[in-house]
Amino acid sequence: MKHRGRGLASMWYPVGFTGYANPSGAVVKVNEDGTAVVLTGTVETGQGSLGVLGQIAAEALGLAPNDIHIISGDTDTCPMDTGAIASRTTYITGNAVRIAAEKARDILFEVAAEMLGVKPNMLEAKDHKIQVQSFPSRNVAIADVSSRAHNGIGTPPIGSATWNPPMVPMDPETGQGKPFGTYVYATQIAEVDVDDETGEVEVLRVTASHDCGTAINPMLVEGQIDGGVYMGLGFALYEEILFDKAGKQINCNLTNYIMPTTLDMPAIDEDIVENYDHTGPFGAKAVGEPSLVPTAPAITNAIYDAVGVRITALPATAERVLAAIKAKRAREQKQIPA
Amino acid sequence: MAEDLDVLDKTRIAPVDSLRRADEDLRLPVVARPSTLPLEPPLVPQVGEQTHAVGLRAQRPDSRDHGLGLTRYIDDIALPGMLYARIKRAGVASARIKSIDISAAEAMPGVMAVLLGREIPTNLFGTSIVDQPLLADPIVRQAGDGVAAVAAVTEQIAQAACDAIKVEYEPLPGVYDAIEALKPESHKVHGGDTNVYAKKVIRQGDVERGFAESYRIYEDEYYTPGIEHAPMEPFTSIADWDSNGRLTVYASIGRITLARVDLSKTLHVPISRIRVIGTIVGGNFGGKNEIRHEPVLALLAKKAGRPVKGRFTRVEEFVASTIRHAFFMKYKTGVSKDGKILARQIRMILDGGAYCSFSETTLGKACILSTGPYHVPNSFIEGYVVYTNKTTAGSMRGFGAPQVCFAYESQMDDIARDLKIDPLELRMKNFFRDGSMTATGQVLHSVKVIESMQNAVKKFGWETQS
Repeated sequence: MKHRGRGLASMWYPVGFTGYANPSGAVVKVNEDGTAVVLTGTVETGQGSLGVLGQIAAEALGLAPNDIHIISGDTDTCPMDTGAIASRTTYITGNAVRIAAEKARDILFEVAAEMLGVKPNMLEAKDHKIQVQSFPSRNVAIADVSSRAHNGIGTPPIGSATWNPPMVPMDPETGQGKPFGTYVYATQIAEVDVDDETGEVEVLRVTASHDCGTAINPMLVEGQIDGGVYMGLGFALYEEILFDKAGKQINCNLTNYIMPTTLDMPAIDEDIVENYDHTGPFGAKAVGEPSLVPTAPAITNAIYDAVGVRITALPATAERVLAAIKAKRAREQKQIPA
Repeated sequence: MAEDLDVLDKTRIAPVDSLRRADEDLRLPVVARPSTLPLEPPLVPQVGEQTHAVGLRAQRPDSRDHGLGLTRYIDDIALPGMLYARIKRAGVASARIKSIDISAAEAMPGVMAVLLGREIPTNLFGTSIVDQPLLADPIVRQAGDGVAAVAAVTEQIAQAACDAIKVEYEPLPGVYDAIEALKPESHKVHGGDTNVYAKKVIRQGDVERGFAESYRIYEDEYYTPGIEHAPMEPFTSIADWDSNGRLTVYASIGRITLARVDLSKTLHVPISRIRVIGTIVGGNFGGKNEIRHEPVLALLAKKAGRPVKGRFTRVEEFVASTIRHAFFMKYKTGVSKDGKILARQIRMILDGGAYCSFSETTLGKACILSTGPYHVPNSFIEGYVVYTNKTTAGSMRGFGAPQVCFAYESQMDDIARDLKIDPLELRMKNFFRDGSMTATGQVLHSVKVIESMQNAVKKFGWETQS
């Protein structure tokens, strides 16, 4: 018989390396026509980081994402970057891009201030224009400002910056310190059906609520959550590398290392918690790794809710769940006095 | 129709090996791009118009290429005259190489270069502890260790040459279990007197006093296994030298600056003479954060005088890259009658496999996060990583966090059930808040765990169910 259960798990996760410097550099160049180029040493690994970095640069410069071209992943042309690791790209590389873009924008402000007859600190960049704060009708197009900076004044708007999260290394004896710049939080809830005759677990739906600071691109955040739940599902129910007695892997191919398929995927309801972290670029933190963290315990807690057995060793394969159900029945039968 | 069926039947009865060979023979280079490209402005209009860029559901700059199948992954790159490399894997987990005979391989037509570990200037790399050889020489510590590499005009010839290399091994004792590896009499994978190569201790408050004040104490053990990243694109790189002795490496790797430093250290080439181009990565999940075979490809390319591409097979992706650390965890938690956590003592053993890789930082993150998103006034956490003669464990999405989260969230539910407190209420009582202090003494800001639970509960419809 199938039993339905639900389980919840919460988590926290840090952004960046554990108490080690992990800086990023960035260069932002505004072109003569008001479009811009960003140089970053990070690499697109499928998560959409280049799009996010483009949106950050666009926001800082008052441009649209489409106006930004990103050059990445080449040690000859791009500044140093610790890389696409530790959920750090949006938070750390993003901060470097934001600061570099602001430096380029400040050069534009110097030029625009003269054109508009105000002080540079009274200006803001918005809608492809540089305008006087609170007086948007007094404005000049960024394209005109940039052209004048390049060809008239001789101050091409180029900004470069590096950023490293603030931290204090941990004491080796007590572990005390401030190893990370910030943390993110999440809660996931899973609903499962457990068949008590076969031990099979089917995950029906997962609700995943994640704090990532400001969502620079909510669509990409949701994509990361979906991918994380997929990995968490494999971790919870299927995946395990088996070794023989001589240390060789037994199931080292996709024919016998079982991973979830699209048919195993539950319905996922993503939620982004509203937040603004003052240390992140425009309030952003991270979502890459954290999205998989609470999935497995949410599923095993749901298994307990359904059939009353605690899985303490992953993965919760049908064999393990069935063995636990049988052990529980045996225990309960013993308790009945003869 | 009848013919179709005939083909199907034949494939059904064909032995797996011949099928695989047929597949390899038929594998052609990438050809035939679509003839026309729809080049009209494609992007979501708002991406071009709206300048509030942050918060926009903007289309990714690479989505068109992905959607049209035009993204150039590294396997789509071929340089003129390029050779293909294969690495011979040991296949034994603990042994000493007595001799390697490469004469038959070198004599094969189409074989352009053969490389052994002893020819690599510095045959060691690693992100913290530098302990991993690029090609084992002379000790093999995991079955996936490479022992020799071949560059040939085709991948098939390179593989045949690898098969023709004769290696004589002297078997060594091995250790294949993390708990076993802790015992004093166990085989020491890297010599010395212990297999423990990294340790982390975090102390906060007085854990004994916390337990003494507790109403109930819960002790549980948890285990999570080693798992594989399984990216769609296996590890692939190309090495190419110019006539001035400058090296260009194309690699599907997430950390190009670190890769350049490691290439410089292993090859003894100044950083200014190395260029690393990170291609679009076809799935990383932590497995592509360090070099694997790039210096080997560079040396093969130098020997052969031609660019060399090396790509892992799916099996190599399992046995010769890294995996997630298997965790053995003991959780002892003391709580007050009303469900406040008063003390938590956590001990964890990580199976690090044959080499260090990212073990130190995985251990660090796991220990720091192991108390959960909860205020725990007294905690004592100790973690150890041990060498075993198994596949090296390294960085993988989550760096130890999924393992400890499985433990602390399983135990939270058990505590709630035992104390007859609603599991949500128990968590709510203990959750971090802005200004809470972690086990390492860090004061937290921007804490939203309560909100995440409230949102999830609302969206799921938790209250409306029984």
